Amino acid sequence: MHDFMALIERHGYLLVSSIVFAEAVGLPVPAAIGLVGAGAAAASGILHPGLMLLSVLLSMMAGDALLFVLGRYTGWALLGVLCRVSVNPETCILRSAESFYKRGKATLIIAKFIPGINTMAPPLAGSMRMRPWQFVRLDFLGASLYILAYFGVGYVFRDFLATITHGLQTAGRAMEEVLLLAIIGYAVYRIWLYRKNSVYRVVPRIQVEELARRLASENESNVLIADVRSHGYYDPGAARIKGSVRLEPNNLAEELKNFPKDKDIYLYCT
Amino acid sequence: MAHMLREQGFNAFVIVGGLAAWKKAGQPLESVPGNDLVKLPTFN
Repeated sequence: MHDFMALIERHGYLLVSSIVFAEAVGLPVPAAIGLVGAGAAAASGILHPGLMLLSVLLSMMAGDALLFVLGRYTGWALLGVLCRVSVNPETCILRSAESFYKRGKATLIIAKFIPGINTMAPPLAGSMRMRPWQFVRLDFLGASLYILAYFGVGYVFRDFLATITHGLQTAGRAMEEVLLLAIIGYAVYRIWLYRKNSVYRVVPRIQVEELARRLASENESNVLIADVRSHGYYDPGAARIKGSVRLEPNNLAEELKNFPKDKDIYLYCT
Repeated sequence: MAHMLREQGFNAFVIVGGLAAWKKAGQPLESVPGNDLVKLPTFN
């Protein structure tokens, strides 16, 4: 623990900014704890508060902007990857999309406080074609609120945190081993979650030729082709498979209410 | 998404290669109707 505080003293700005950026791009790291620690370090005079706040704000916005751009150009491909490591991938994307439908653009301001939606909000905003400058404004507000909240906790309760870290130092090696076991256990859990959800790769598939034969046969009435692209519907003149219908991925729960369960549904994207 | 649909009781499949494979195979396409374009949710 003493080594960690020495690390903060030497590389605090880079360390905390890296943790914040890593969480912003979807990695499972606790940026909130880093911010609390940064606040305590700033209150102790180890780090300059203004410089620290600016550094973490820029790092968080950089991470969000990266996901925004990737979401804009990859659509649901990126969202699927981000949701793969969530506790419940099935509802991960739906819950995030529904949040935008209920709260609109204001979702970006509060998203960082909501587990599961915090990382999904920027790429979803990109996928839904939010204007870049509008995204920057709203993301700035949301990131500022989040950073100030946790940084403020660390800054105000510096003495209480010092008591905790002193206690941890006293516990010494035993606490380090417990902490190491906890980190290993958490990493194993996330890996297990990822492998468990690899079942999403195993879905029935059909080749184009076979589907074309089915459409030409007498069973055509039992077939429904659904376009699940998040892109391709913004420009006039965009093409789709003849006879297919749109299944809006950002509004799935609502659209599925009108979908037939007595037909074979063939999904496609780009 | 296909897995999501199957979990909800739909008989869903995935077209291998998507739209690109469909085009390459010379299968029929159509332009997206104008009213479908209007319905898309965007932050305009």
